[in-house]
Amino acid sequence: MALATQRVDVPVIVDESKCLEKCKACIEVCPLDVLVKNPETGKAYMKYDECWFCLPCEKECPTNAITVQIPFLLR
Amino acid sequence: MAHTDLDPEVVQLVEMLQSQDLNDRLVAAKSLQHLGDEDTIDALILCLNDESARVQEIAVTALWEMANPVVVPPLLDCLSSAHEPEVREEALSALKELVAPDDLLKLLDVIQVEDVNVQLNVLILLRKIHDAQALPYIMPFFESENPVLREASIVTLRYLNQVVRCEPALALAKDANEEVRRAAILTLGHLSDEAVVPMLCDAIANDPDWQVRRNSAQSLDLHATAEATAALTAAMADDHWQVRKFTARALQKVATDETIPALIKALSDEYSDVRRDSAIALGNLGNPEVLPALQQTLDDPDRDVQIFSQRAIKKIQDKLAETSNA
Amino acid sequence: MNTQHLQTDFLVIGGGTAGTMAGIKAKQANPDADVLILEKANIRRSGAIAMGMDGVNTAVIPGNSTPEQYVREITIANDGVLEQKNVYQTGRWGFEVIQELESWGVKFQKDHEGNYDLKQVHRVGKYVLPMPEGKDLKKILARQVKRHKVRVTNRVMATRVMVKDGRAIGAVGFDVRKGDFVVIQAKAVVLCTGACGRLGLPASGYLYGTYENPTNAGDGYSMAYHAGAELTNIECFQINPLIKDYNGPACAYVASPFGAYTANAEGNRFISCDYWSGQMMLETWKELNSGKGPVHLKMYHLDDDTISEIERVLWANERPSRERFHEGRGEDYRTDGVEMNISEIGLCSGHSASGVWVNDKAETTVPGLYAAGDMASVPHNYMIGAFVSGRLSGINAMDYVEGLEHVEPDPEFLATEKARIYAPLDRPDGVPHTQVEYKLRRYVNDYLQPPKSPTKMDIGLAAFERYHETLDLMGAQDPHELMRCMEVHFIRDCAEMAARASLYRKESRWGLYHYRLDYPEKNNEEWFCHANLKKSETGEMEMFKRPVSPYMVEVNLQQEVYDVAVR
Repeated sequence: MALATQRVDVPVIVDESKCLEKCKACIEVCPLDVLVKNPETGKAYMKYDECWFCLPCEKECPTNAITVQIPFLLR
Repeated sequence: MAHTDLDPEVVQLVEMLQSQDLNDRLVAAKSLQHLGDEDTIDALILCLNDESARVQEIAVTALWEMANPVVVPPLLDCLSSAHEPEVREEALSALKELVAPDDLLKLLDVIQVEDVNVQLNVLILLRKIHDAQALPYIMPFFESENPVLREASIVTLRYLNQVVRCEPALALAKDANEEVRRAAILTLGHLSDEAVVPMLCDAIANDPDWQVRRNSAQSLDLHATAEATAALTAAMADDHWQVRKFTARALQKVATDETIPALIKALSDEYSDVRRDSAIALGNLGNPEVLPALQQTLDDPDRDVQIFSQRAIKKIQDKLAETSNA
Repeated sequence: MNTQHLQTDFLVIGGGTAGTMAGIKAKQANPDADVLILEKANIRRSGAIAMGMDGVNTAVIPGNSTPEQYVREITIANDGVLEQKNVYQTGRWGFEVIQELESWGVKFQKDHEGNYDLKQVHRVGKYVLPMPEGKDLKKILARQVKRHKVRVTNRVMATRVMVKDGRAIGAVGFDVRKGDFVVIQAKAVVLCTGACGRLGLPASGYLYGTYENPTNAGDGYSMAYHAGAELTNIECFQINPLIKDYNGPACAYVASPFGAYTANAEGNRFISCDYWSGQMMLETWKELNSGKGPVHLKMYHLDDDTISEIERVLWANERPSRERFHEGRGEDYRTDGVEMNISEIGLCSGHSASGVWVNDKAETTVPGLYAAGDMASVPHNYMIGAFVSGRLSGINAMDYVEGLEHVEPDPEFLATEKARIYAPLDRPDGVPHTQVEYKLRRYVNDYLQPPKSPTKMDIGLAAFERYHETLDLMGAQDPHELMRCMEVHFIRDCAEMAARASLYRKESRWGLYHYRLDYPEKNNEEWFCHANLKKSETGEMEMFKRPVSPYMVEVNLQQEVYDVAVR
């Protein structure tokens, strides 16, 4: 089956300059498990667009690297 | 404690707490918070004085989550002006959950420290304990030069059980600062000194701040005394609708036939809450003369007014039927 | 792919409100027993109250109300169709739950004297107890789980309960990160996986923009069904009055003590009771369709200080992103009403009555299988009810497992289930779960959203039956996507149950929750009963009636009609 890759505006934005390679806090607390580390950079990013905008990732981040926006369709 | 008892992962994180690298200390504190191993309490307490406020804050959160009573004194230290506002705030939130009656003496000790942040925060924490032993420690703040401390102390007074009279507190009902007056007037609802009801009647009539007047109505509602009926009746003409609303509520207990004209007028108030609460007051009063006025509110655009007006009418009619049967 | 074999005495599926309590109570009942909580997220932040809770709705506090009064109120609110003895448990044990939570550090609102500061939100009686500092309830529960030495396995999702020789013997599932197949043998199992919150499609079109935590996809409803347990009154949907698009609660009952209320476009009240019920939803639906809509939560008549206070409470707790939502649209409570809308449908006994049939011991109809929390059919049970039913399941399961041995799972069953779970991974280029889920849930909106039309529901049911074939087209590229695929299976099962149950009950009841256009009236003669369903011997979904047990608390339903809008 043919699959297209579409651009999507994702709610969770990670400031890579602040994200710490050794830290997994946001990944561990996400109820939907949508955050992962980029294996090349060690920085977290939102891999799956399945966000409940519940904010623990933002709140738990020790360096305030995360901003959660309301998903575009609801905004 | 001997680190040898610990999980190797935990040992490594505890060591990381001492790192020169701020980022490592942040990661270590955060990871220990998530692990929640109570053997790391001592190490985390040391972090409360880390040079980074963020590390301190995470350590406060971590200790809060472990909720061991031993963390109360070190968290109390975090309330002082030596710590950044966000650390103080997190420590206060933690302590609100963690302080227990056993901590009273510690709190009374700490409140004597000359530090406005410590004093303010401890005044707030004393509200969780409700112990009248705190009274002598609170009273000096009634005369503080800082209005924030005056306000905090008069609120805390309300939370002390068994305190029913407190003459030194009354002066705050006339405080120059309106926020202090608002709080003081609410506290007066719970005091029974002779001067209290006259002071509340004076405040509802004359205070320039509408919130003070509203709070007076709420406090007079608690006192529920006929002594206040005249002042409350007059307050139905207040400019601010919330004063009228809470006055109508207070009148539900103490209205007399003299109050009827003011309450009937309020049935066509611009604000539905005033109309509803006045209808209830008229129903409670039970005088059949008000029935025509109440009938007219049955097609009020607000559903609550319709419902409560109907109930008021029924109440008066039931009472009529009872008396005619008797 | 690896297979993990685990064994425990008592398996708790879902580590939310009910699950954490079930685990803790089981350990308190028998500290030597092994208790395992299986959680597909992380128990620190999972379940319906992942972000906290601003109050409890069903607090029966001595001196304020009695369990009997509470049973009466819920009997009336649920139009009489309920098992009173189940509801009674919530009233009977709720106060102990509150006291225990308090001893663990949960703060409930107290008045100046230190008494519980209860609010009236129900039609009569005070059952609402605010907890403005309750935001970290879940962390407190996680701490107690740890202190009680309950084992926790995070990021594993159960897909089926194992049943053998007529009793539950464990569950199977998979690790949603590593992909391992996980087989857990247990002597007793409790399902506490929450609501089916991803049944209807939110008006925004965002699959996860739901009222419930979107992890709650009806897992337990589906697992109970396939285990052979009975479900009940599924047609009594969960529909809530929510902030339009945001889909979170407007929290009229939090704001109402401050003077806020739900109003129509003219700014007037049209209901007299903000407690959520089908009747209230029906009034809201009528108002929305009357020309006086849209409806909104009105605060703009209040003063700045009061509004600031309301904001402080609302933005700290249950859905903290709410502030951001309003900010993004330039809305301010001082000048703007909060526009509200009727939500898409879901299944949730915590709010309405649709759930897995349980008795007053939290037992389902399958021995060794318990159900608790939002998915167990104790009407209007909310958070305190979830704690109580979790507690009942934990304590009773410990009794039940006494002397029992583990049973070897059936290899054929394991092979079949393994094949079912992993099939999408063999089709990495299959249709993505997002599209499959979107279409399924759009059908739910199109054909099941009340008011219910029989022809539409027939069409919907046929579509859900056909959807088995669509599920077989779904592809996954990693274990995470596989989790979502398996959730779509759960959602399809719930959609079929919702359609069949709604077609079966030929009357209207519970206000908008089950409002049928072809039978607009309540019919107590024929339908004063439970409508139950289960999987038959031949694998068909069968519907049947269950009588309502005689009341323990007398209620005259002819006189006491639940009404929120009429004088």
